Amino acid sequence: MVEEAVNKPVLELQNAIGFGGTVPNGLKVHPNRQSLIYPIGCTVVVRDLATNKQEFLSGHSNTISAVAVSKSGKYIASGQITHMGFKADIIVWDFETLSMYCKLTLHMVKIQDLAFSTNDKYLVSLGGEDDSGGSVVVWNLETKEAICGAPAQVPSAGVTHCVTCFNEDDMKFATGGKDTLRIWQLDLPNRKIRPTDISTGQTKRVIRCLTVAHGDGMLYCGTTTGDIMSVFTTTFKMQTFGPEKHPFSLGICSLEQLPTEEILVGAGDGTVAVVQGPNKRFKRTSKCVKVKGAITSISLRGKGHQFFVGTDKCEIYKFNFGDFKPELVETCHHGPVTDLVFPTNCPELYVTSSKEDIRIWDANSARELRRFTVPNMECTSVCITGDGHLIVSGWTDGRIRLFLPESGECVHTIGEAHNLGVTALAVFSDNRHLVSGGKEGDVRLWRISKRPYASKLLHDLHEHKAAVTCVTLKKDDSECVTSSTDGTCIIWDLNVDKPFRRQMLRLNTLFNNVTYHPEEHQVIAAGTDRKISYWESADGSLIRELDASSTGAINALDVSSCGSFFVSGSEDKLVKVWTYDRGVTTHIGVGHSAPVAKVKISPGHNCIVSVGMDGSIIRWKMPGGDEE
Amino acid sequence: MDQEENIYNLIPREYIRPPKPPRYTSKFKSEAKDDIIGGKQAQKTMGPPKEVVRQPAEFLKKNEKHPPLPEKKEFKYPDSDKRKPKIPPTDEKPVMGMRTTKNFITQNAVQNIMSVAKRPEKNYVDTRKGDAHALPPSGLEPKFINRKDYGEVPVYLHKRKEDMERAQQEYNAYVAEHFRRGAMEQLSDEIRQHIIDGLKANWEEIHREFQGLSVMTDTIPKKSRKERMEAEMAQLEKDIELMEKHPVIFIAN
Repeated sequence: MVEEAVNKPVLELQNAIGFGGTVPNGLKVHPNRQSLIYPIGCTVVVRDLATNKQEFLSGHSNTISAVAVSKSGKYIASGQITHMGFKADIIVWDFETLSMYCKLTLHMVKIQDLAFSTNDKYLVSLGGEDDSGGSVVVWNLETKEAICGAPAQVPSAGVTHCVTCFNEDDMKFATGGKDTLRIWQLDLPNRKIRPTDISTGQTKRVIRCLTVAHGDGMLYCGTTTGDIMSVFTTTFKMQTFGPEKHPFSLGICSLEQLPTEEILVGAGDGTVAVVQGPNKRFKRTSKCVKVKGAITSISLRGKGHQFFVGTDKCEIYKFNFGDFKPELVETCHHGPVTDLVFPTNCPELYVTSSKEDIRIWDANSARELRRFTVPNMECTSVCITGDGHLIVSGWTDGRIRLFLPESGECVHTIGEAHNLGVTALAVFSDNRHLVSGGKEGDVRLWRISKRPYASKLLHDLHEHKAAVTCVTLKKDDSECVTSSTDGTCIIWDLNVDKPFRRQMLRLNTLFNNVTYHPEEHQVIAAGTDRKISYWESADGSLIRELDASSTGAINALDVSSCGSFFVSGSEDKLVKVWTYDRGVTTHIGVGHSAPVAKVKISPGHNCIVSVGMDGSIIRWKMPGGDEE
Repeated sequence: MDQEENIYNLIPREYIRPPKPPRYTSKFKSEAKDDIIGGKQAQKTMGPPKEVVRQPAEFLKKNEKHPPLPEKKEFKYPDSDKRKPKIPPTDEKPVMGMRTTKNFITQNAVQNIMSVAKRPEKNYVDTRKGDAHALPPSGLEPKFINRKDYGEVPVYLHKRKEDMERAQQEYNAYVAEHFRRGAMEQLSDEIRQHIIDGLKANWEEIHREFQGLSVMTDTIPKKSRKERMEAEMAQLEKDIELMEKHPVIFIAN
């Protein structure tokens, strides 16, 4: 993957929609107040708040699990997850040059949390549960070496969740977790860190986030119980905990100390609130707002006149402290994106489907325009009628739902369309007929009528033995091709009175995608054998096969409307541009942090859009001069 | 209505501001213009203005039509002269280097020496334990102004006055009795008056002659005459005085 990327010209990334909202405290505002830093899968995004320009820091091999920004803003650190038994990297980035400063590898499997010491001298990293039960390592940033490490907690205690450094003392930091709260002192000459356990007596809490008060006198711990515990850092004694009356539902996930005594709290039920200081026992104030999803990170811009909130529904909200109202800044899918479609001849919009919702996006500004939600269901496929009046979507509950594109009203539901769930859909160009494929292998032909909205099953074609993954229609609706994971693609004659199978294309693979060449004499198909195969549509003979990827299955294909090139998206997170006739890769798009689920060339050949399993949507600039 | 819904309507379009409608002009504009130019002057329609219009510089000012308020005075408590001066604030610091020359010890001693001893409070005690109460408001102490005969002349003075009057009367009666017994004749008022008038006439006669004397008293007869007249007049004056001085004159036998 890497050597290929080096050899070929790279696709230029125009913008990326995405936000790894599940990373605890992953959203950060840079101390220069101008940049927002957040992870998308395995890349860190630095977004300018004024111009919305995104810079990407890629170097991680897997999903990022922790992000930290140093107090001066010179460094950004990010830690990742790897597979069991492997070592997880921490990468420290230089903010000025936006390049890798150093890669620190010692922890196993997962980096739980990261924190910079106040003068940027040291980096404290906390390993995950599989890192010998969690260990703390202190790194010297000048020499780029580890100073020392120690188990994060006593063996009888639970997992340590978070680490934070003191505001004024470089040598002190604190860790907290289940039944453990420790303040550590770094002994540099002896290369040791010495913990002091803090006993909380009768109050048993699981600490999820920590913050140190101004002046280092006090440590505030956010707990899963939904209250804040304050601890004296000099005497190592617990002072108090609160709010006693109405603790925050689903626990406190994020804490930020405001310039005043007050504390900003983000809770698991989506509450963002301001509570009073420890002397008032963290009593709630009138400032309390609820947003969708659980708050995973809160980051103050400057002193806190404005702050940003990230939720696990992958949304970023901007708050002005004065009016305390959420303003949605960025949205993205919080589940894998399953389908992507452009309206006919309309490069300005595209529609994506994902877990629970279908969203319509403005392609140029990457802004979400509409969202149609069906709770607890996953939309597997979506298509738009040629006249643009309906959005047809297939869901895992086996229903096909028809939405009006502007109001989002679900005007009709075809219940029991496929009993194991709908997996593929295509709409005729007359906007009256529909082909659907199901997980059980059936291909069904429907007639839909408007005013009143109704549907009728015309034909049920049993040929495939496993899930239908893709349905593609000819332009004149006379024929369609379906791909299936049973190793076949079938070309159907779509005579509305009596459809029948024309050709069957067999190969030893699970087909993921099939599409017609614009001239419709050939089809190309791809599947888990990492190959792209060209077929003659008239007689179903295999023309040729291309090795499309060295490691992962091909998930998506799209041929340009001129037919000279096509794009593929694969399990190895790459988007590739191929010439159709010669079958040569011309460009490679590196940027996805998860397998690419779908890729589409925009109708006007302006750009390529690809969606990933991590919920991100990336828009690539169309490479110029390769249309041969 | 749903037929109008279309995904292509969602394409973000730049908002084009619709052009403004042309400015309104009245259709009577030309008529009005003709009226103004063509002759009718303002006064000729409605007559002269009833009220003199103010000059723009003399615009209506605030509170102009209200009666002027009395001038602001600094508020003073009615007992402000009796009040003690304010205590200095806590953050006030004394002026550096200032020192009083007053000798508080001597002054205090002098004050105490010169002071009049305080009168003991008038109290009365009504229980065995010695609960003291102020005496003056209790009514136990007599107050002279509340006496019934306060301000009146005492009876003994009246008595004394009566006694004296009675003694005088008794004395007068005694003298009268005595005179009556002695039988001395009293000169009546007419005779006394007659005598006084006669004496005064004599004096005037002599005085007239005395005025007619020559200025020069160069001879002995003149001198002796003048001396004689003077002596006579002196004698007369003496007699008149005697007669006038005593209203009651008894004539001894």
